[in-house]
Amino acid sequence: MGYQLLPFRFERFNDTEYLLTNEVGEYIFLQNEDFHRFVDGKIDTHSDLFYDIESKQIATTDKVEDVVSMLATKFRTKKSILRDFTSLHMVVPTLRCNSSCIYCQVARKNRDDHSADMTKQTAKNIVKTIFQSPSPCIKIEFQGGDPSTDFEMVKYIIEEAEWQNLFKKKELDFVICTNLTLLNEKMVKYLKKHNCMISTSLDGPKDLHDTNRPLQDKELDHHAIFEKHLSMIRRIWGNNDCASALMTTSKYSLGRFKEIIDEYVRLGFNSIFLRSLNPYGFAKQYKEKIAYPIEDFIENYKEGLDYIIELNKKGTFFVEGFAALLLRRMLTPFATGFVDLQSPAGVGIAGVIYDYDGSVYVSDEARMMARFKNYYFRLGNVNENSYQEMFNGELLHRIISSACTECLPACVDCVFQPYCGADPVRNMSEQGDMIGFRPTNEMCKKTKSIIHYLFELLHKHDPEINRIFWSWLN
Amino acid sequence: MANIKFPVVKLDNNKFQVIVDFNLYTKEVVTASIYKFSHLFYIHQQTDADNPNLVNVIFESKDDNTITEDITKQFCNELIDQQLRHNVNAQFGHIRDMIVEEAFKPVNSK
Ligand code: SF4
Repeated sequence: MGYQLLPFRFERFNDTEYLLTNEVGEYIFLQNEDFHRFVDGKIDTHSDLFYDIESKQIATTDKVEDVVSMLATKFRTKKSILRDFTSLHMVVPTLRCNSSCIYCQVARKNRDDHSADMTKQTAKNIVKTIFQSPSPCIKIEFQGGDPSTDFEMVKYIIEEAEWQNLFKKKELDFVICTNLTLLNEKMVKYLKKHNCMISTSLDGPKDLHDTNRPLQDKELDHHAIFEKHLSMIRRIWGNNDCASALMTTSKYSLGRFKEIIDEYVRLGFNSIFLRSLNPYGFAKQYKEKIAYPIEDFIENYKEGLDYIIELNKKGTFFVEGFAALLLRRMLTPFATGFVDLQSPAGVGIAGVIYDYDGSVYVSDEARMMARFKNYYFRLGNVNENSYQEMFNGELLHRIISSACTECLPACVDCVFQPYCGADPVRNMSEQGDMIGFRPTNEMCKKTKSIIHYLFELLHKHDPEINRIFWSWLN
Repeated sequence: MANIKFPVVKLDNNKFQVIVDFNLYTKEVVTASIYKFSHLFYIHQQTDADNPNLVNVIFESKDDNTITEDITKQFCNELIDQQLRHNVNAQFGHIRDMIVEEAFKPVNSK
Protein backbone atom coordinates (compact mmCIF):
# COMPACT_ATOMS: atom_id res chain seq x y z
CA MET A 1 0.00 0.00 0.00
CA GLY A 2 1.43 3.39 -1.01
CA TYR A 3 -0.54 5.28 1.59
CA GLN A 4 -1.46 5.17 5.25
CA LEU A 5 -5.12 5.06 6.22
CA LEU A 6 -6.02 7.69 8.80
CA PRO A 7 -8.87 7.20 11.30
CA PHE A 8 -12.28 7.27 9.64
CA ARG A 9 -15.74 5.79 10.02
CA PHE A 10 -17.94 4.59 7.18
CA GLU A 11 -21.46 3.52 6.32
CA ARG A 12 -23.24 2.43 3.15
CA PHE A 13 -24.96 5.72 2.27
CA ASN A 14 -27.13 4.36 -0.56
CA ASP A 15 -27.00 1.45 -2.99
CA THR A 16 -23.99 2.78 -4.86
CA GLU A 17 -21.99 4.84 -2.39
CA TYR A 18 -20.27 4.81 0.95
CA LEU A 19 -19.97 7.85 3.20
CA LEU A 20 -16.71 8.28 5.10
CA THR A 21 -16.15 10.77 7.91
CA ASN A 22 -13.14 11.42 10.06
CA GLU A 23 -12.58 12.46 13.67
CA VAL A 24 -12.78 16.18 12.91
CA GLY A 25 -15.90 16.04 10.77
CA GLU A 26 -14.42 15.98 7.23
CA TYR A 27 -16.40 13.76 4.87
CA ILE A 28 -16.29 12.20 1.43
CA PHE A 29 -18.60 10.00 -0.65
CA LEU A 30 -16.98 7.09 -2.47
CA GLN A 31 -18.49 4.78 -5.07
CA ASN A 32 -18.71 1.23 -3.70
CA GLU A 33 -15.96 -0.01 -5.97
CA ASP A 34 -13.65 2.92 -5.11
CA PHE A 35 -14.28 2.37 -1.43
CA HIS A 36 -13.20 -1.25 -1.59
CA ARG A 37 -10.14 -0.37 -3.68
CA PHE A 38 -9.34 2.36 -1.17
CA VAL A 39 -9.40 0.14 1.91
CA ASP A 40 -7.45 -2.52 0.02
CA GLY A 41 -4.70 0.04 -0.61
CA LYS A 42 -5.22 -0.06 -4.37
CA ILE A 43 -5.90 3.59 -5.21
CA ASP A 44 -3.22 5.30 -7.30
CA THR A 45 -1.71 7.97 -5.06
CA HIS A 46 -1.37 10.28 -8.10
CA SER A 47 -5.06 10.05 -9.01
CA ASP A 48 -7.62 12.84 -8.48
CA LEU A 49 -9.59 10.44 -6.32
CA PHE A 50 -6.67 9.99 -3.95
CA TYR A 51 -6.01 13.74 -3.83
CA ASP A 52 -9.64 14.21 -2.76
CA ILE A 53 -9.31 11.59 -0.04
CA GLU A 54 -5.99 13.00 1.12
CA SER A 55 -7.36 16.55 1.24
CA LYS A 56 -9.98 15.27 3.70
CA GLN A 57 -7.22 13.74 5.83
CA ILE A 58 -8.64 10.25 5.52
CA ALA A 59 -5.37 8.87 4.14
CA THR A 60 -1.90 10.24 3.68
CA THR A 61 1.41 9.70 1.92
CA ASP A 62 3.13 12.14 4.31
CA LYS A 63 4.84 11.39 7.58
CA VAL A 64 2.14 10.25 9.99
CA GLU A 65 3.46 12.42 12.85
CA ASP A 66 2.89 15.58 10.78
CA VAL A 67 -0.68 14.66 9.93
CA VAL A 68 -1.35 13.64 13.53
CA SER A 69 -0.23 17.04 14.67
CA MET A 70 -2.61 18.79 12.24
CA LEU A 71 -5.54 16.54 13.10
CA ALA A 72 -4.85 16.97 16.81
CA THR A 73 -5.02 20.76 16.44
CA LYS A 74 -8.35 20.46 14.64
CA PHE A 75 -9.66 17.96 17.19
CA ARG A 76 -8.60 20.24 20.01
CA THR A 77 -10.45 23.13 18.35
CA LYS A 78 -13.59 21.02 17.91
CA LYS A 79 -13.51 20.06 21.57
CA SER A 80 -12.49 23.49 22.85
CA ILE A 81 -15.89 23.97 24.46
CA LEU A 82 -14.64 21.58 27.16
CA ARG A 83 -11.88 23.95 28.19
CA ASP A 84 -14.10 26.50 29.92
CA PHE A 85 -16.31 24.09 31.86
CA THR A 86 -19.87 25.09 32.88
CA SER A 87 -21.01 28.33 31.32
CA LEU A 88 -24.80 27.91 31.13
CA HIS A 89 -26.41 28.24 34.56
CA MET A 90 -30.18 27.86 34.57
CA VAL A 91 -31.98 29.13 37.65
CA VAL A 92 -35.57 28.43 38.70
CA PRO A 93 -36.74 31.32 40.91
CA THR A 94 -40.21 29.81 41.27
CA LEU A 95 -42.47 27.09 39.96
CA ARG A 96 -45.41 29.47 39.71
CA CYS A 97 -46.90 29.88 36.25
CA ASN A 98 -50.01 31.31 34.60
CA SER A 99 -50.03 28.82 31.71
CA SER A 100 -51.19 25.24 31.57
CA CYS A 101 -49.28 23.90 28.58
CA ILE A 102 -50.42 20.45 27.53
CA TYR A 103 -46.84 19.16 27.56
CA CYS A 104 -45.78 20.96 30.75
CA GLN A 105 -42.78 19.20 32.26
CA VAL A 106 -42.61 20.71 35.70
CA ALA A 107 -44.95 20.43 38.65
CA ARG A 108 -46.03 24.04 38.18
CA LYS A 109 -47.77 26.00 40.94
CA ASN A 110 -50.64 28.41 40.65
CA ARG A 111 -49.81 32.09 40.75
CA ASP A 112 -50.88 32.51 44.37
CA ASP A 113 -49.12 29.38 45.66
CA HIS A 114 -45.74 30.47 47.04
CA SER A 115 -44.68 27.04 48.28
CA ALA A 116 -42.06 26.69 45.55
CA ASP A 117 -40.53 30.18 45.61
CA MET A 118 -36.80 30.61 46.05
CA THR A 119 -35.52 32.32 49.21
CA LYS A 120 -32.96 35.11 49.09
CA GLN A 121 -30.44 32.98 50.99
CA THR A 122 -30.72 30.21 48.41
CA ALA A 123 -30.43 32.75 45.58
CA LYS A 124 -27.29 34.18 47.16
CA ASN A 125 -25.73 30.73 47.49
CA ILE A 126 -26.62 29.92 43.89
CA VAL A 127 -24.89 33.04 42.59
CA LYS A 128 -21.89 32.26 44.78
CA THR A 129 -21.74 28.74 43.31
CA ILE A 130 -22.14 30.01 39.76
CA PHE A 131 -19.18 32.33 40.11
CA GLN A 132 -16.94 29.50 41.24
CA SER A 133 -17.18 28.07 37.73
CA PRO A 134 -13.85 28.52 35.95
CA SER A 135 -15.65 29.58 32.77
CA PRO A 136 -14.78 33.10 31.59
CA CYS A 137 -18.33 33.38 30.19
CA ILE A 138 -21.35 32.96 32.41
CA LYS A 139 -24.89 32.87 31.10
CA ILE A 140 -27.66 32.88 33.71
CA GLU A 141 -30.94 31.70 32.24
CA PHE A 142 -34.14 32.05 34.25
CA GLN A 143 -36.49 29.10 33.90
CA GLY A 144 -39.69 28.20 35.67
CA GLY A 145 -42.60 27.95 36.12
CA ASP A 146 -42.63 31.32 34.50
CA PRO A 147 -39.93 33.44 36.15
CA SER A 148 -41.91 36.62 35.47
CA THR A 149 -44.33 35.49 38.22
CA ASP A 150 -41.53 36.23 40.71
CA PHE A 151 -39.86 39.13 38.99
CA GLU A 152 -38.50 40.49 42.28
CA MET A 153 -36.40 37.33 42.66
CA VAL A 154 -35.21 37.62 39.07
CA LYS A 155 -34.08 41.18 39.83
CA TYR A 156 -32.40 40.08 43.04
CA ILE A 157 -30.38 37.39 41.23
CA ILE A 158 -29.42 39.72 38.37
CA GLU A 159 -28.16 42.35 40.77
CA GLU A 160 -26.39 39.86 43.01
CA ALA A 161 -24.63 38.41 39.95
CA GLU A 162 -23.66 41.84 38.68
CA TRP A 163 -22.24 42.63 42.12
CA GLN A 164 -20.19 39.42 42.22
CA ASN A 165 -19.00 40.10 38.72
CA LEU A 166 -17.49 43.43 39.70
CA PHE A 167 -14.77 41.28 41.26
CA LYS A 168 -14.79 38.29 38.91
CA LYS A 169 -14.95 40.28 35.67
CA LYS A 170 -16.44 37.51 33.52
CA GLU A 171 -18.48 37.93 30.40
CA LEU A 172 -21.94 37.86 32.00
CA ASP A 173 -25.22 37.36 30.10
CA PHE A 174 -28.79 36.92 31.22
CA VAL A 175 -31.78 35.30 29.53
CA ILE A 176 -35.31 35.03 30.83
CA CYS A 177 -37.57 32.27 29.49
CA THR A 178 -41.14 33.49 29.67
CA ASN A 179 -44.48 33.26 27.89
CA LEU A 180 -44.38 37.11 27.76
CA THR A 181 -47.94 37.54 28.99
CA LEU A 182 -47.06 38.98 32.41
CA LEU A 183 -44.36 41.35 31.22
CA ASN A 184 -45.16 45.06 31.41
CA GLU A 185 -43.21 48.07 30.15
CA LYS A 186 -41.46 48.63 33.47
CA MET A 187 -40.21 45.04 33.58
CA VAL A 188 -39.05 45.15 29.98
CA LYS A 189 -37.16 48.39 30.58
CA TYR A 190 -35.45 46.73 33.55
CA LEU A 191 -34.51 43.71 31.40
CA LYS A 192 -33.17 45.98 28.69
CA LYS A 193 -31.13 47.98 31.20
CA HIS A 194 -29.54 44.79 32.49
CA ASN A 195 -29.14 43.32 29.04
CA CYS A 196 -31.33 40.32 29.87
CA MET A 197 -32.47 38.76 26.60
CA ILE A 198 -35.91 37.24 26.30
CA SER A 199 -36.56 33.69 25.18
CA THR A 200 -40.16 32.76 24.62
CA SER A 201 -42.27 29.95 23.23
CA LEU A 202 -44.29 30.12 20.07
CA ASP A 203 -45.92 26.95 18.82
CA GLY A 204 -47.52 28.33 15.67
CA PRO A 205 -50.68 30.08 14.51
CA LYS A 206 -53.25 31.17 17.07
CA ASP A 207 -55.36 28.01 17.28
CA LEU A 208 -52.32 25.75 17.60
CA HIS A 209 -50.48 27.99 20.05
CA ASP A 210 -53.59 28.28 22.22
CA THR A 211 -54.19 24.52 22.08
CA ASN A 212 -50.63 23.68 23.11
CA ARG A 213 -50.12 26.54 25.53
CA PRO A 214 -53.45 27.71 27.01
CA LEU A 215 -53.41 30.22 29.84
CA GLN A 216 -54.93 29.10 33.13
CA ASP A 217 -57.40 31.98 32.91
CA LYS A 218 -59.52 30.70 30.05
CA GLU A 219 -60.94 34.17 29.42
CA LEU A 220 -57.56 35.37 28.18
CA ASP A 221 -56.37 35.02 24.62
CA HIS A 222 -52.78 33.81 24.91
CA HIS A 223 -51.77 34.39 21.33
CA ALA A 224 -53.22 37.91 21.19
CA ILE A 225 -51.44 38.95 24.40
CA PHE A 226 -48.25 37.31 23.13
CA GLU A 227 -48.35 39.31 19.91
CA LYS A 228 -49.14 42.59 21.67
CA HIS A 229 -46.35 42.12 24.21
CA LEU A 230 -43.85 41.04 21.59
CA SER A 231 -44.27 44.35 19.76
CA MET A 232 -44.07 46.26 23.06
CA ILE A 233 -40.77 44.49 23.86
CA ARG A 234 -39.33 45.16 20.41
CA ARG A 235 -40.41 48.80 20.59
CA ILE A 236 -38.65 49.29 23.94
CA TRP A 237 -35.49 47.48 22.87
CA GLY A 238 -35.49 49.10 19.46
CA ASN A 239 -34.76 45.86 17.62
CA ASN A 240 -36.09 42.38 16.91
CA ASP A 241 -33.08 40.48 18.20
CA CYS A 242 -33.92 40.96 21.89
CA ALA A 243 -36.49 38.15 21.80
CA SER A 244 -36.13 34.69 20.32
CA ALA A 245 -38.73 31.95 20.28
CA LEU A 246 -38.75 28.18 20.65
CA MET A 247 -41.39 25.81 19.32
CA THR A 248 -42.39 22.42 20.63
CA THR A 249 -44.08 19.86 18.44
CA SER A 250 -47.15 18.25 19.95
CA LYS A 251 -49.39 15.77 18.16
CA TYR A 252 -51.48 18.74 17.08
CA SER A 253 -48.49 20.33 15.34
CA LEU A 254 -47.93 17.42 12.96
CA GLY A 255 -48.84 18.23 9.37
CA ARG A 256 -48.72 21.95 10.17
CA PHE A 257 -45.02 22.82 10.00
CA LYS A 258 -45.50 25.16 7.02
CA GLU A 259 -48.12 27.16 8.92
CA ILE A 260 -45.87 27.25 11.99
CA ILE A 261 -42.96 28.55 9.93
CA ASP A 262 -45.21 31.12 8.23
CA GLU A 263 -46.30 32.36 11.65
CA TYR A 264 -42.67 32.83 12.71
CA VAL A 265 -41.99 34.79 9.52
CA ARG A 266 -45.17 36.89 9.98
CA LEU A 267 -44.11 37.81 13.51
CA GLY A 268 -40.68 38.95 12.35
CA PHE A 269 -38.54 36.06 13.57
CA ASN A 270 -35.72 35.01 11.25
CA SER A 271 -35.14 31.56 12.68
CA ILE A 272 -36.91 28.58 14.18
CA PHE A 273 -35.68 25.47 15.98
CA LEU A 274 -37.99 22.63 15.01
CA ARG A 275 -38.10 20.66 18.26
CA SER A 276 -39.68 17.34 19.01
CA LEU A 277 -41.41 16.70 22.29
CA ASN A 278 -39.16 15.27 24.95
CA PRO A 279 -40.35 12.35 27.02
CA TYR A 280 -40.12 13.85 30.50
CA GLY A 281 -42.72 15.13 32.90
CA PHE A 282 -46.35 15.21 31.91
CA ALA A 283 -45.45 14.42 28.36
CA LYS A 284 -44.60 10.87 29.37
CA GLN A 285 -47.71 10.44 31.52
CA TYR A 286 -49.99 11.72 28.81
CA LYS A 287 -48.07 10.16 25.96
CA GLU A 288 -51.19 8.89 24.25
CA LYS A 289 -52.74 12.32 24.13
CA ILE A 290 -49.90 14.49 22.88
CA ALA A 291 -46.95 12.33 21.84
CA TYR A 292 -46.27 10.62 18.49
CA PRO A 293 -43.80 8.20 16.94
CA ILE A 294 -40.44 9.86 16.30
CA GLU A 295 -40.72 8.83 12.64
CA ASP A 296 -43.66 11.25 12.28
CA PHE A 297 -41.55 14.08 13.62
CA ILE A 298 -38.71 13.21 11.24
CA GLU A 299 -41.03 13.33 8.22
CA ASN A 300 -42.47 16.66 9.35
CA TYR A 301 -39.00 18.00 10.02
CA LYS A 302 -37.84 17.18 6.49
CA GLU A 303 -40.91 18.85 4.97
CA GLY A 304 -40.35 21.86 7.22
CA LEU A 305 -36.70 22.10 6.22
CA ASP A 306 -37.58 21.86 2.52
CA TYR A 307 -40.11 24.63 2.99
CA ILE A 308 -37.56 26.83 4.76
CA ILE A 309 -35.08 26.24 1.92
CA GLU A 310 -37.80 27.31 -0.55
CA LEU A 311 -38.47 30.47 1.47
CA ASN A 312 -34.76 31.30 1.36
CA LYS A 313 -34.66 30.66 -2.38
CA LYS A 314 -37.45 33.20 -2.75
CA GLY A 315 -35.44 35.78 -0.85
CA THR A 316 -36.59 35.43 2.79
CA PHE A 317 -33.58 34.84 5.02
CA PHE A 318 -34.80 32.31 7.55
CA VAL A 319 -32.75 29.73 9.47
CA GLU A 320 -33.65 26.31 10.87
CA GLY A 321 -31.60 26.15 14.06
CA PHE A 322 -30.98 22.41 14.35
CA ALA A 323 -29.85 22.11 10.73
CA ALA A 324 -27.61 25.17 11.18
CA LEU A 325 -25.97 23.57 14.23
CA LEU A 326 -25.32 20.30 12.42
CA LEU A 327 -24.13 22.02 9.25
CA ARG A 328 -21.64 24.02 11.26
CA ARG A 329 -20.27 20.71 12.53
CA MET A 330 -20.28 19.18 9.05
CA LEU A 331 -18.88 22.10 7.09
CA THR A 332 -16.61 24.08 9.41
CA PRO A 333 -13.72 23.33 11.75
CA PHE A 334 -15.25 25.39 14.54
CA ALA A 335 -16.39 24.27 17.97
CA THR A 336 -20.12 24.22 18.55
CA GLY A 337 -21.40 23.97 22.07
CA PHE A 338 -24.91 22.61 22.34
CA VAL A 339 -25.67 21.16 25.75
CA ASP A 340 -28.16 18.61 24.42
CA LEU A 341 -25.95 17.19 21.66
CA GLN A 342 -22.26 17.09 22.35
CA SER A 343 -19.61 14.58 23.31
CA PRO A 344 -18.80 14.31 26.14
CA ALA A 345 -22.39 15.23 27.01
CA GLY A 346 -22.93 18.79 28.18
CA VAL A 347 -24.75 17.75 31.35
CA GLY A 348 -23.15 19.45 34.35
CA ILE A 349 -19.97 20.38 32.48
CA ALA A 350 -21.54 22.78 29.97
CA GLY A 351 -24.93 23.50 31.54
CA VAL A 352 -26.50 22.99 34.93
CA ILE A 353 -29.77 23.91 36.62
CA TYR A 354 -30.44 25.26 40.12
CA ASP A 355 -33.94 24.51 41.38
CA TYR A 356 -35.97 26.87 43.59
CA ASP A 357 -34.86 24.99 46.74
CA GLY A 358 -31.15 25.12 45.82
CA SER A 359 -30.92 21.58 44.44
CA VAL A 360 -28.47 21.30 41.58
CA TYR A 361 -29.26 19.02 38.64
CA VAL A 362 -27.10 18.26 35.63
CA SER A 363 -29.80 19.38 33.20
CA ASP A 364 -33.37 20.60 33.00
CA GLU A 365 -34.48 17.09 32.10
CA ALA A 366 -32.76 15.78 35.24
CA ARG A 367 -34.79 18.26 37.27
CA MET A 368 -37.94 16.97 35.62
CA MET A 369 -37.04 13.40 36.54
CA ALA A 370 -36.72 14.55 40.15
CA ARG A 371 -40.36 15.65 40.09
CA PHE A 372 -41.11 11.96 39.68
CA LYS A 373 -38.87 11.02 42.59
CA ASN A 374 -35.86 10.04 40.51
CA TYR A 375 -32.94 11.97 42.04
CA TYR A 376 -30.18 10.13 40.24
CA PHE A 377 -28.86 13.25 38.50
CA ARG A 378 -28.94 15.58 41.52
CA LEU A 379 -25.42 16.84 42.19
CA GLY A 380 -26.26 18.31 45.59
CA ASN A 381 -27.67 21.50 47.07
CA VAL A 382 -26.06 24.93 47.16
CA ASN A 383 -27.14 25.33 50.79
CA GLU A 384 -25.35 22.15 51.85
CA ASN A 385 -22.61 21.24 49.40
CA SER A 386 -19.45 22.91 48.20
CA TYR A 387 -18.72 23.65 44.56
CA GLN A 388 -16.03 20.96 44.57
CA GLU A 389 -18.36 18.35 46.02
CA MET A 390 -20.93 18.99 43.32
CA PHE A 391 -18.84 19.71 40.23
CA ASN A 392 -15.84 17.52 40.93
CA GLY A 393 -17.67 14.76 42.75
CA GLU A 394 -17.81 11.08 41.95
CA LEU A 395 -21.34 11.36 40.49
CA LEU A 396 -20.50 13.89 37.79
CA HIS A 397 -17.35 11.96 36.90
CA ARG A 398 -19.41 8.79 36.56
CA ILE A 399 -22.05 10.48 34.42
CA ILE A 400 -19.54 12.04 32.04
CA SER A 401 -17.53 8.88 31.62
CA SER A 402 -20.74 7.20 30.40
CA ALA A 403 -21.49 9.98 27.97
CA CYS A 404 -18.86 10.03 25.22
CA THR A 405 -20.14 8.95 21.82
CA GLU A 406 -16.53 8.11 20.94
CA CYS A 407 -16.90 4.98 23.05
CA LEU A 408 -20.62 4.21 23.42
CA PRO A 409 -21.86 0.95 21.86
CA ALA A 410 -22.90 1.53 18.22
CA CYS A 411 -21.83 5.19 18.35
CA VAL A 412 -18.24 4.05 18.40
CA ASP A 413 -18.34 3.16 14.73
CA CYS A 414 -21.22 5.35 13.58
CA VAL A 415 -20.35 7.48 10.59
CA PHE A 416 -22.30 10.41 12.09
CA GLN A 417 -20.45 10.33 15.40
CA PRO A 418 -18.35 13.48 14.76
CA TYR A 419 -21.57 15.52 14.51
CA CYS A 420 -23.57 13.83 17.24
CA GLY A 421 -23.68 13.76 21.03
CA ALA A 422 -24.70 11.75 24.05
CA ASP A 423 -27.51 12.35 26.50
CA PRO A 424 -27.20 10.09 29.56
CA VAL A 425 -30.23 11.68 31.23
CA ARG A 426 -32.48 10.94 28.33
CA ASN A 427 -31.06 7.44 28.01
CA MET A 428 -31.83 6.82 31.66
CA SER A 429 -35.33 8.24 31.36
CA GLU A 430 -36.21 6.37 28.16
CA GLN A 431 -34.15 3.21 28.36
CA GLY A 432 -33.30 2.69 32.01
CA ASP A 433 -29.55 3.33 32.04
CA MET A 434 -27.10 6.03 31.04
CA ILE A 435 -25.58 4.09 28.15
CA GLY A 436 -28.85 3.41 26.35
CA PHE A 437 -29.48 1.04 23.48
CA ARG A 438 -28.95 2.74 20.13
CA PRO A 439 -31.01 0.49 17.82
CA THR A 440 -34.21 1.59 19.58
CA ASN A 441 -33.09 4.98 20.83
CA GLU A 442 -35.41 7.76 19.61
CA MET A 443 -32.84 10.50 19.96
CA CYS A 444 -30.43 8.45 17.85
CA LYS A 445 -33.09 7.77 15.22
CA LYS A 446 -33.92 11.44 14.96
CA THR A 447 -30.32 12.67 14.80
CA LYS A 448 -29.27 9.98 12.36
CA SER A 449 -32.17 10.65 10.00
CA ILE A 450 -31.70 14.40 10.05
CA ILE A 451 -27.93 14.24 9.48
CA HIS A 452 -28.52 11.72 6.69
CA TYR A 453 -31.01 14.10 5.10
CA LEU A 454 -28.60 17.03 5.34
CA PHE A 455 -25.94 14.91 3.63
CA GLU A 456 -28.44 14.06 0.89
CA LEU A 457 -29.04 17.76 0.36
CA LEU A 458 -25.33 18.57 0.35
CA HIS A 459 -24.68 15.70 -2.03
CA LYS A 460 -27.01 17.22 -4.61
CA HIS A 461 -24.32 19.86 -5.20
CA ASP A 462 -27.10 22.37 -5.78
CA PRO A 463 -25.33 25.78 -5.68
CA GLU A 464 -28.49 27.46 -4.41
CA ILE A 465 -28.91 25.06 -1.46
CA ASN A 466 -25.21 25.33 -0.65
CA ARG A 467 -25.39 29.12 -0.71
CA ILE A 468 -28.36 29.03 1.68
CA PHE A 469 -26.64 26.61 4.06
CA TRP A 470 -23.49 28.71 4.16
CA SER A 471 -25.55 31.85 4.78
CA TRP A 472 -26.88 30.15 7.92
CA LEU A 473 -23.39 29.66 9.29
CA ASN A 474 -22.32 33.28 9.32
CA MET B 1 -21.59 -19.38 -9.06
CA ALA B 2 -24.44 -21.86 -8.80
CA ASN B 3 -22.63 -23.57 -5.94
CA ILE B 4 -22.32 -20.43 -3.82
CA LYS B 5 -24.86 -20.47 -1.01
CA PHE B 6 -25.55 -18.17 1.87
CA PRO B 7 -24.62 -19.99 5.09
CA VAL B 8 -28.21 -19.69 6.27
CA VAL B 9 -30.30 -22.62 7.46
CA LYS B 10 -34.01 -22.53 8.28
CA LEU B 11 -34.72 -24.41 11.50
CA ASP B 12 -38.01 -25.53 13.01
CA ASN B 13 -40.20 -23.13 15.04
CA ASN B 14 -39.57 -20.16 12.76
CA LYS B 15 -35.88 -19.96 13.63
CA PHE B 16 -32.97 -19.27 11.31
CA GLN B 17 -29.36 -20.18 11.78
CA VAL B 18 -26.36 -18.43 10.25
CA ILE B 19 -23.08 -20.33 10.27
CA VAL B 20 -20.21 -17.96 10.89
CA ASP B 21 -16.66 -18.96 10.14
CA PHE B 22 -14.10 -17.67 12.64
CA ASN B 23 -11.46 -17.87 9.94
CA LEU B 24 -13.26 -14.95 8.31
CA TYR B 25 -14.77 -13.02 11.22
CA THR B 26 -13.54 -12.27 14.74
CA LYS B 27 -15.59 -12.80 17.91
CA GLU B 28 -15.88 -9.02 18.48
CA VAL B 29 -17.20 -8.55 14.97
CA VAL B 30 -19.86 -11.22 15.43
CA THR B 31 -20.99 -9.66 18.73
CA ALA B 32 -21.09 -6.14 17.25
CA SER B 33 -23.21 -7.41 14.37
CA ILE B 34 -25.61 -9.27 16.66
CA TYR B 35 -26.03 -6.11 18.77
CA LYS B 36 -27.60 -4.31 15.84
CA PHE B 37 -30.34 -6.94 15.46
CA SER B 38 -30.97 -7.79 19.08
CA HIS B 39 -33.92 -5.41 19.49
CA LEU B 40 -35.81 -7.26 16.78
CA PHE B 41 -35.00 -10.88 17.53
CA TYR B 42 -33.74 -13.23 20.21
CA ILE B 43 -30.26 -14.17 19.13
CA HIS B 44 -28.17 -16.97 20.45
CA GLN B 45 -24.66 -18.08 19.52
CA GLN B 46 -23.25 -21.52 19.97
CA THR B 47 -19.95 -23.05 18.93
CA ASP B 48 -20.42 -25.85 16.41
CA ALA B 49 -20.11 -29.23 18.12
CA ASP B 50 -17.94 -30.66 15.31
CA ASN B 51 -15.87 -27.65 14.34
CA PRO B 52 -14.67 -25.09 16.93
CA ASN B 53 -13.94 -22.65 14.12
CA LEU B 54 -17.62 -22.31 13.32
CA VAL B 55 -20.23 -20.59 15.40
CA ASN B 56 -23.95 -20.99 14.83
CA VAL B 57 -25.90 -17.77 15.31
CA ILE B 58 -29.57 -18.57 15.84
CA PHE B 59 -32.30 -15.99 15.25
CA GLU B 60 -35.67 -16.46 16.89
CA SER B 61 -38.78 -14.28 16.48
CA LYS B 62 -39.42 -11.71 19.18
CA ASP B 63 -42.64 -9.73 19.70
CA ASP B 64 -44.33 -9.49 16.31
CA ASN B 65 -41.15 -9.49 14.25
CA THR B 66 -41.28 -12.37 11.85
CA ILE B 67 -37.88 -13.60 10.86
CA THR B 68 -37.15 -14.13 7.19
CA GLU B 69 -34.16 -15.30 5.22
CA ASP B 70 -33.63 -11.69 4.10
CA ILE B 71 -32.95 -10.61 7.66
CA THR B 72 -30.23 -13.18 8.03
CA LYS B 73 -28.73 -12.07 4.72
CA GLN B 74 -28.68 -8.51 6.04
CA PHE B 75 -26.86 -9.91 9.02
CA CYS B 76 -24.27 -11.41 6.66
CA ASN B 77 -23.74 -7.95 5.10
CA GLU B 78 -23.42 -6.44 8.55
CA LEU B 79 -20.72 -8.99 9.36
CA ILE B 80 -18.76 -7.84 6.32
CA ASP B 81 -19.04 -4.15 7.27
CA GLN B 82 -18.11 -4.83 10.87
CA GLN B 83 -15.13 -6.95 9.87
CA LEU B 84 -13.99 -4.21 7.51
CA ARG B 85 -14.26 -1.70 10.36
CA HIS B 86 -12.25 -4.05 12.52
CA ASN B 87 -9.57 -4.42 9.82
CA VAL B 88 -9.16 -0.72 9.07
CA ASN B 89 -9.21 0.05 12.79
CA ALA B 90 -6.26 -2.27 13.20
CA GLN B 91 -4.42 -0.06 10.70
CA PHE B 92 -5.23 3.30 12.26
CA GLY B 93 -6.46 2.69 15.82
CA HIS B 94 -3.07 3.71 17.20
CA ILE B 95 -3.17 6.90 15.11
CA ARG B 96 -6.54 7.80 16.63
CA ASP B 97 -5.01 7.38 20.09
CA MET B 98 -2.08 9.59 19.08
CA ILE B 99 -4.43 12.33 17.85
CA VAL B 100 -6.47 12.34 21.05
CA GLU B 101 -3.38 12.25 23.25
CA GLU B 102 -1.77 15.10 21.33
CA ALA B 103 -5.00 17.14 21.33
CA PHE B 104 -5.44 16.96 25.10
CA LYS B 105 -1.79 17.36 26.00
CA PRO B 106 -1.25 20.46 28.20
CA VAL B 107 0.06 23.18 25.88
CA ASN B 108 3.15 23.94 27.99
CA SER B 109 4.35 20.32 28.16
CA LYS B 110 5.60 20.40 24.55
S1 SF4 C 1 -26.45 8.45 18.84
FE1 SF4 C 1 -26.90 7.39 16.93
S2 SF4 C 1 -26.45 8.90 15.31
FE2 SF4 C 1 -25.44 9.59 17.20
S3 SF4 C 1 -23.36 8.74 17.09
FE3 SF4 C 1 -24.62 7.31 18.27
S4 SF4 C 1 -25.31 5.82 16.74
FE4 SF4 C 1 -24.62 7.64 15.61
